[in-house]
Amino acid sequence: MAVLLQITYQKKLGLPNFSSHSCSVSVQVEVADLSQVAEENNRLYRLLQASVDEEIQKVGFMPDATSYGMNNGNGHQEQRQQPQNDAGISEKQLDLINRVIRENNISKTEVDNMAVSMFGGGVRTLNRMQGSQLIDELFEKYPRRNGNGNGNGRGNYQRQPTRV
Amino acid sequence: MNTLPAKEASTVLSGGGRSIEQLLTSISASRLTTFQQCRMKFMFRYVLGVAKPKSAALHVGSSVHGVLKFWNMARWKNQQPTLKQLHDVYAAQWNDQQERQPVNWGDEQEEEKKTGWRLLETYFRESPIPPDEKPEAVEVNVEADLNQHGLPKLVGILDLVRHGGQIVDFKSSGKTPDPAQVAHLLNTQTTAYSILYRETTGRKESSVALHHLVKTKNPKLVVTVLEPAADNQITRLFRVMESYVKGLQRADWVPSPGMQCASCEFFNECRHHC
Repeated sequence: MAVLLQITYQKKLGLPNFSSHSCSVSVQVEVADLSQVAEENNRLYRLLQASVDEEIQKVGFMPDATSYGMNNGNGHQEQRQQPQNDAGISEKQLDLINRVIRENNISKTEVDNMAVSMFGGGVRTLNRMQGSQLIDELFEKYPRRNGNGNGNGRGNYQRQPTRV
Repeated sequence: MNTLPAKEASTVLSGGGRSIEQLLTSISASRLTTFQQCRMKFMFRYVLGVAKPKSAALHVGSSVHGVLKFWNMARWKNQQPTLKQLHDVYAAQWNDQQERQPVNWGDEQEEEKKTGWRLLETYFRESPIPPDEKPEAVEVNVEADLNQHGLPKLVGILDLVRHGGQIVDFKSSGKTPDPAQVAHLLNTQTTAYSILYRETTGRKESSVALHHLVKTKNPKLVVTVLEPAADNQITRLFRVMESYVKGLQRADWVPSPGMQCASCEFFNECRHHC
């Protein structure tokens, strides 16, 4: 009795500026009987993985984070100013934002939208002061459950600077 | 006498000392100011962490501060809360503060509570900030890496940054401030805020405004607008920070007796300290 074997391999990778891309390949093959499934599955998995790995290295179009999507008529453009010198959002702040995203299972798009709503630009366009304000807002909106903090979740993250 | 803003309250009242190493990791304007006022006071407050009961004035200041934060955030979200809503927030702030750090009121609580609310009513009536003006930042934590100057990082919280880059600091006060005196007395704080703003935005502040809510019989609002910090003010602040670092490293806790001792919460400890 012929057996239909269907396998999908998918990989999703993060990209700069809160972007990501993914590649998915599916095949369906017919094997003679169940005894061949394991071996065929092993072969197909390696084949599909190699194929996806090769393709996903081609990043393709990457938007300019300083301008892409900013002219959408949301009325906030006038507030967006590019940070000068090294006043842009810091890696430490981005790490903290990513941590809140992970721990609360929210999408980066949602956080980017928050940044656009507050400052007229995406997360990567913020200066450090705006980055700090966004983090405060995230703590307000997503207080950590079962935390030991002060009630707003702030104490549960290693927020810098702290109140002194 | 100026009341400490809400953001400094936790430091004063939390108790528990800090190591010199910790105190040199980052510096805030409030620590610098205390160090400038009296090094022994600094030692009691920050090094030994001597806890003191919360004063009524601080409680009022913290509650008022909480409502102003709410009002500023509301404008950011295009909301215009009614006076009733603001009063509800004030009452909630008051109770929350009382729960966390009880104040021994005697029978003055209601009067103090009314005083705080009258300050807010005055502020909302006379504030130079339009009710639909969106802020740039509200009670935001900021820090500036001053490593290139051989100094610890500077940290602080900006009460409000108005659209256009004016830094606003709210203060409650028992007497009407004199603009020239205020500029001098608060120079450390306002210059620190200027540096923090510049370092975290890459832009120069348009000005620094001090909004004093004055607790006179008829409450009033006094707004003092200062020019952006000049180079000599920044140099001066850096010198103060250098002095702070060296003073802490030497454990130099020399007292500075003066008129200010009358209102110092560590008066008794200081008198008996050898």
